[in-house]
Amino acid sequence: MTLHPRRSALAALMAAAPLLAQTIPVVERTLPNGMKVLLVERHDKPTIACGWVARVGSANEQVGQTGLAHLFEHMMFKGTKTIGTRDAKRDAELNKAQDAVYRTILEEMDLLREKQRRGEITDINDPKVRSERHQMTLGELETLVQEQRALIVKDEFVKIYTQFGATGMNANTTTDRTFFHIDVPSNKLELWAWLESDRLRNAVFREFYSERAVVLEERKQSTDATPTGAVFEAFGAMATLAAPRRWPVIGWPSDITQVTREQADAFFSTYYSPSNITAILVGDFKVAEAARLVEQYFGDIPASGKPLPKVITAEPAHPAEMRMNAEVEANPFVYVSYQGVAAVHRDTAALYILSSVLNGQSGRLVKSLVSTRKAATRAGSENMTGKFGGSFGLYAEPVPEGRLEDVEGLLYQEIEGIQKEGISERELQKVKNQIQVAVFMGQESNGSLRDQLAEAEAAGSYRDVLEEPARLQAVTREDVQRVARTYFAKENRSVLVVSRRKVPTDGLEDADLASLPEALRAQARQSLAGLVKEQDPAKLKQELEQMEAQASQVPPQFKPLLDFLQKIVRARIQKLEAK
Amino acid sequence: MITRIALIALMGAALLPAADRPDRPEKLAFRPIAFEAPRVAAFKATLKNGIPVFLHSDPQGSPLVRINVQFRGGSYLDPKGKEGLASVLGSQWRAGGTEKTSAAALDERLAFLGASLQSSCGPMSGALNLEMLEKDLPEGLELLMEVLTRPTFAQDRLDLCKQQAGLALTSRNDSVTAIAGYQWPILLNGESHFSAVQPTSSSLAGIIREDLLALRVRLLHPDNLVVSVSGRLSRKAMLNLLDQGLGALKALKGAQVSPKVPPPDFIRKPGLYLVDKEVPQSMIRFALPGLRRSDPDWHAALVMNSILGGGGFTSRLMKKIRSDEGLTYGISSSLGEGPFWKGSWSGGLQTKTRSVAYALRLTLAEVERIKAQVVSEDELNTAKEAMIQAFPGDWSDKKAIVNTFATEWLIGWPEDFQASFCSKIQAITREDVQRVARKYLALDQLVVLVVGKTAEAEAGDVKDHPGLLKDVLKTPLVRLPLRDPKTMKPLS
Repeated sequence: MTLHPRRSALAALMAAAPLLAQTIPVVERTLPNGMKVLLVERHDKPTIACGWVARVGSANEQVGQTGLAHLFEHMMFKGTKTIGTRDAKRDAELNKAQDAVYRTILEEMDLLREKQRRGEITDINDPKVRSERHQMTLGELETLVQEQRALIVKDEFVKIYTQFGATGMNANTTTDRTFFHIDVPSNKLELWAWLESDRLRNAVFREFYSERAVVLEERKQSTDATPTGAVFEAFGAMATLAAPRRWPVIGWPSDITQVTREQADAFFSTYYSPSNITAILVGDFKVAEAARLVEQYFGDIPASGKPLPKVITAEPAHPAEMRMNAEVEANPFVYVSYQGVAAVHRDTAALYILSSVLNGQSGRLVKSLVSTRKAATRAGSENMTGKFGGSFGLYAEPVPEGRLEDVEGLLYQEIEGIQKEGISERELQKVKNQIQVAVFMGQESNGSLRDQLAEAEAAGSYRDVLEEPARLQAVTREDVQRVARTYFAKENRSVLVVSRRKVPTDGLEDADLASLPEALRAQARQSLAGLVKEQDPAKLKQELEQMEAQASQVPPQFKPLLDFLQKIVRARIQKLEAK
Repeated sequence: MITRIALIALMGAALLPAADRPDRPEKLAFRPIAFEAPRVAAFKATLKNGIPVFLHSDPQGSPLVRINVQFRGGSYLDPKGKEGLASVLGSQWRAGGTEKTSAAALDERLAFLGASLQSSCGPMSGALNLEMLEKDLPEGLELLMEVLTRPTFAQDRLDLCKQQAGLALTSRNDSVTAIAGYQWPILLNGESHFSAVQPTSSSLAGIIREDLLALRVRLLHPDNLVVSVSGRLSRKAMLNLLDQGLGALKALKGAQVSPKVPPPDFIRKPGLYLVDKEVPQSMIRFALPGLRRSDPDWHAALVMNSILGGGGFTSRLMKKIRSDEGLTYGISSSLGEGPFWKGSWSGGLQTKTRSVAYALRLTLAEVERIKAQVVSEDELNTAKEAMIQAFPGDWSDKKAIVNTFATEWLIGWPEDFQASFCSKIQAITREDVQRVARKYLALDQLVVLVVGKTAEAEAGDVKDHPGLLKDVLKTPLVRLPLRDPKTMKPLS
């Protein structure tokens, strides 16, 4: 590089003896019941980042109960025998009664599934297809829910935390783990211990059936109602043949609507045993005092004694490249996903470096596809790793007049370049310098460190967080070239090609008519029947002018009809003129 | 004696500790936390040309330094026909390279240092932001000054930026979020107000390099600038370095003190506005005229909003619409601080289309309830304690605080708002909450936007919760067309 030659030399010298990441003083304790506790004492803020991670996620689910791990995460906020109800005894009875009624609903759902299988109905959740018994039983369930609701202290768990100044309370689920976290003022550690040990010991999954509706809305918001959400979900399922990460963490809609509380209970007793959990505290406390508190509150939670079912199904080698061509309302892009490796795999560090060499403003993909060839407006890569496997992604968005197949080919060329020539020493050093800074930044906040320790505990051990910087710094150019040659075979990839769907704007689409009030639809059909047959744009323009002239005189209830007709005619003119 | 106490404590821990756990969490006792809100004066310095600096030195922290130069000015200054100019400036100020260092060489050098230097510009202000290792500080500062004072706005980078911006335009009707994103400011502030004006393909096409050079000169007036700095540094040495660079900055010919941000000149038309979009879930947004943070009612309004919709899972809207009814993944409301004109009380949710009318009806009922009945002592207490007890945590990250102070200075808020925050919140009564609810939540002023399948939304939830959408509010129901994503002209 020509810039600042002297400083470059100096920087290289300093990089050769890299600043070591500050050693993180993690204290590890294991309670008699097998629960692990990690404590990091730091006094720069009067708060504590708290959390616990259960080593269970959607990869542990059974087909037919997909989404249960995530639904379960929601249920953990519904209270316990003490928290969330005014009458624990009656509350438990009502839960039982609801489950009994729900069995009848399940029978009805069985009948509906059968009808759907025979093509007699299309949507088993449409209120119209329910039998009288079904509707009546739903009514009974609702009565029981209402009676229980009268006893519920609404969201009391959350309320107690909030009124004591806790912030950032949340939880999230991945394929591999469920993580519950919160930040508390430093004098409230015992409150955290009280509430969290209580929900591990005495959880009650009340409001179970209504919470499934919340999850369905969550699913719509995060997946179905976004331009590419459903496509990425389908792509993930296609790109994974057998491994249980092939279904979405949030679950398939059929399963979310039919999962039962009894299944959730069984799930809890299997996977939420103390030995499957690690608690993590980072912040303003004294280790000895915190360790005592954690033991006092969590130490006597009984171990379930049940063996954890193992995740057996491994992804088989793919026999061929797989492709998905999607048309959605989004700008075109291509996404290539290669089967990668698990987080703790010995090649993870080299794949991460490879991804960093490709990525970023001065990385190979932007330099080549965007700056030099001007074929793409954006390009990048990512190495994603989970407990049981991972994927290496490449993506690019073509320039407006560009072709998707061209940018796809260019992505492969960049990988081939590294397979043949490897990377330069300077590229390697650049990435290592960036990693150095990223490590410092990642350890600055208590919350960020807690989250990293939790992820590491879910995939392997917290020690991976401490050892990762050294592993990355040890990667050589040869390592990077080797992984580029190992993981990027054609058969190992799945390709998602997204192009923009044309939104229909002419003709008599029912979807178009749906925007009109019911009363005007028949009239719209009639008016349009002649218009859409007209092939002469000049005549249509005359029609349009007439309509525009009339616009101010039309009674308000017909205004939508006129707007609608004008819209159709304009689109039609445009189309005819384009020909 | 001491040994005996220790021994008892030890035995207590070793024996089964169930007895040590109270049966309710409220019975736990907590030692108080002594916390004094940080004051502006302790962080503030002034460079020799008058630029204020908010500085936090942390000799024990990570070996990093962060320098954030914020400037007053943004898209409210965009000339007619060049909408998007300030935003393009923000993207290109650093990305376009300098007279000394080409764009690509600058990318490469910063990446090699593991440093990040970024520029951005929003509606009212912009920033150049540097993050790097302490050891590279002299070079980092040099690069920062080079970018500030000698940017070139390389043509090929500008072309790419315009291409990317052009592609972003085409996505404007792709999701309910994007559609609401451009419709909402039009409804709140009027089509001609800068907050609602959007770049178009022709306005982007009209932006040339010379526009960026001129705008850069215009904005870089010392009186428009404020700096915040944090990291492992010596206060004295850092101020010295800054004084040599930024402190020596003079207004060039063409530099201007940015004018006041213009408030909207628009009378909101209350109503229920519908935009048709074929999606499986609809978005609802709602707003009422609010107040400014400097208003004497502010703290009462904050508490009121927290109880109604701002308090996360403990708020009434969340309990009712999400937890009881399962109609949404999330509903919340917030109060705009109103830095330049009165803010709004606003909120929103997404719900399946047939539930739009029902969810909106329940939302409005909660608004009416907080006006009609005084809130419970318990709710009031939860809302107040949540803010007061979280305060030390919110105000102890000094890296963030210096940025907050700089932003507040740029807006022109009076100093040390935070100093009296807790005592003012503590003083709020149930009656105060009801009073501000009645004062600010006048539903005849409500503006509602629904984006989704409008026919289905209008019909309501026929089976489970009948009721037409038009009957939810007395205000008129108005259909809005989508806009042409490239011209922003209504698609009628």
